[in-house]
Amino acid sequence: MGYRMYFVVEDDPAVADALESLLEGAGLEVCVFGSAEELMRNGLPKANDTMIVDLGLPGMSGGELVRRLGKVGAAPRVIAISGKSSRTIAREVEGINDIKILRKPPSADWLEAITA
Amino acid sequence: MVKVDDRNTTVNEARFESLLDTAADGIIVMDERGRMLVFNKICETMFGYSSEEAVGKPVNLIMPPEFSTDHDRYVRNYHRTGEKRIIGIGREVSGMHKDGTVFPLELSVGEAVTPEGRQYIGVLRDLRPRRAVEVRVSQLQAQVVHMTRLSAMDEMGAAMAHELNQPLTALLLYLQAVTRQIKNSHAEGQVPSEKVLGVLDKAVTEAERASHIVQRMRQMVEKRDPERATIDLREVVNEALDLSEFVAQSATVTIRRVYGPNPIWVDADATQIQQIVLNLLRNALEVAKESEERWVKVSIGSDDRSAVVSVTDSGPGFSEEVSRSLFKTFSTTKKSGMGLGLAISRAIAQNHGGDLMADSGGSGQGATFTLVLPVHRAAVDEG
Repeated sequence: MGYRMYFVVEDDPAVADALESLLEGAGLEVCVFGSAEELMRNGLPKANDTMIVDLGLPGMSGGELVRRLGKVGAAPRVIAISGKSSRTIAREVEGINDIKILRKPPSADWLEAITA
Repeated sequence: MVKVDDRNTTVNEARFESLLDTAADGIIVMDERGRMLVFNKICETMFGYSSEEAVGKPVNLIMPPEFSTDHDRYVRNYHRTGEKRIIGIGREVSGMHKDGTVFPLELSVGEAVTPEGRQYIGVLRDLRPRRAVEVRVSQLQAQVVHMTRLSAMDEMGAAMAHELNQPLTALLLYLQAVTRQIKNSHAEGQVPSEKVLGVLDKAVTEAERASHIVQRMRQMVEKRDPERATIDLREVVNEALDLSEFVAQSATVTIRRVYGPNPIWVDADATQIQQIVLNLLRNALEVAKESEERWVKVSIGSDDRSAVVSVTDSGPGFSEEVSRSLFKTFSTTKKSGMGLGLAISRAIAQNHGGDLMADSGGSGQGATFTLVLPVHRAAVDEG
């Protein structure tokens, strides 16, 4: 098993911090960004990394970020989180393959869902 | 000669009788000693006595006992000093029906000097129907406020759900993290670390954030009777601004608050005033969103008579035509029916003894809506 980073892209500081606590508590390497733009400026995730991205980011949306990363050849495993309706989510991730969706608020253990 | 005079008197009397009976108000004529000389038809229905029963009796007959002693004193006082307390002024008094029912009356009194001495003419109006209308209007207004609040909630519903989602998500994740860490330390025979307590603290903060949102929602939705209190206008407006800022969190319009450091006391129903401010703010934000500078300014000020809340947006202002129809019920330039909101807002303001005004702006100036309320006065006047 290779070196894996967990990228969290979430604009709500509390949600981001809670995710970081959860992942770090499990001994995982975590990097948190408040926006898609911030992530793009700070080095892109690689294929064996995992990116947990809020779909409803201000500025560049989560869906847009995933599509951009796909275009530049950076294709991490993607887990999208969203509090919106399933129809909105479906529209936002249209055309993106292999995307796992976690809905806010969590109804199950997210660590298991993220590391599975 | 004598005969003509007699006939004139008869004609005059007939006219007078007919005048008394056609009058829409109760009319009583009373002599110097407080005895009733005339008791018209309206008085008969108002008080339940026939004219025959009443005429010749003291006027105290139709007053509640606690008033009749006062009345005697007033009359004596007037005869002695000539100081007019009611004559030519008119005031609200209580009357008593034959069956004992006490009711509010508007009474105006005139005085006539006759060869038989001074006589007083009282014109009376039963205030109960007017009171009933006033109460009904206030009830309806509260109902409409409740309805607009509900429709505002409808619009806000999605935003609120989104806002609730964040603290709940964070809370659950913190708890998941803590649970894991405690399980791990337990397995290794250690006590939970400081770090665990820190995470728990954060979890509590998020739970509080969520419950705050629910409390605010509940305050918005709960129906209640209008409640006047002496309140600091700045505080009330601030709360409304916080609420809409938090609903419009992702919006890019800046809300500027321009207040002085001192409290501004007004006697008002805080929720209704917030309703007005929310309404104005919602309009302003919508306009400002489409403008270049994207700001809304809310300023509060006062002088010794009135307090003022002004909401100005960075939009282009509106045309003469629009400003004329602005406060008409159901008129709106938008789909969401804001016109109703403005008409109601103005009605509420006027109900508080204030008003709601619009300055249409234009030529580089945004529109300004100004809510005026009378400032709180410590009980000054007596009687």
